Amino acid sequence: MNKILIASHGHLASGVQSSLEILTGMGNKVTVIDAYVDDHDYVPDIKKFIDELDGQTGIIFTDLFGGSVNQKVMLEVADHENVFVITGTNLPIVLSVVLEGEEITKAKLEELIAASQVQLVEEPKDDTDLSDDSFLE
Amino acid sequence: MIAQLRVDDRLIHGQVALVWTKELDTPGIVVANDNAASNEMVQMTLKMATPTGKKLLIRSVDDAIKVFNNPKGKGMRMFALTNNVTDALKIAQNVSDIDGINVANVGRFADKSEGETHQVGSTLMLSDKELAALKELTKLDIPVFQQVVPSNPKSSIASMLKNK
Repeated sequence: MNKILIASHGHLASGVQSSLEILTGMGNKVTVIDAYVDDHDYVPDIKKFIDELDGQTGIIFTDLFGGSVNQKVMLEVADHENVFVITGTNLPIVLSVVLEGEEITKAKLEELIAASQVQLVEEPKDDTDLSDDSFLE
Repeated sequence: MIAQLRVDDRLIHGQVALVWTKELDTPGIVVANDNAASNEMVQMTLKMATPTGKKLLIRSVDDAIKVFNNPKGKGMRMFALTNNVTDALKIAQNVSDIDGINVANVGRFADKSEGETHQVGSTLMLSDKELAALKELTKLDIPVFQQVVPSNPKSSIASMLKNK
């Protein structure tokens, strides 16, 4: 199981965790930081997550590139090559990483990210209905 | 063969598309539902919910039973979905090759004006007719259980129905 931290401005992180729990029952597989909802200093929480990896691969999701949460994460992650940081986090990418059985590599992450983009919803063009026979082939 | 027959009033949705098709390793999904089989908008939403690489067939309950009994499908692991217990019972009574029936989500968001409903566990809210169908289902020689997502334990429906 890949170790995962989600850190956001406000309750996005715990909100993603809530969706994850409803969809997969795996909400407890992620650590979350809801920054700035109170006066709590969350930097030690980032440190703790990285320390507890003990050299294993970890993935940190942040909400906004260049945002302060992302900045604090980048400062802590410096020199830790076992930690990947993903920003602009959305629910599909978190789900893909949580459900990924294998250990995450950079190439794998790039593939999952490419398949998790925000998109304009349009009616599917391929509207062909399968026949019983082609379904059972 | 049917690897799992799932009763879920949302048919294909997040839990099913993301988690169960992976868990069950089923290349084919069959939605057995009379309304979906005749409603193009519903078909469109089901197609959008189908994970990449999986085949989807949307059929009326009677036509789906023909698909499940087609000898060509004997070696194919199929994930079958109905949105109510009555349809699942009909399939279970007419198809021999079913590994298990998962009665997952039923009736929680249904119109409550049509008489009394019976709560079974936290995710099943059944009318008299659906409750009777569920009791019939547990009499068949197929495991009938509830497991909303794979990380939940399997709960036996027969034991959930005690005193109902």
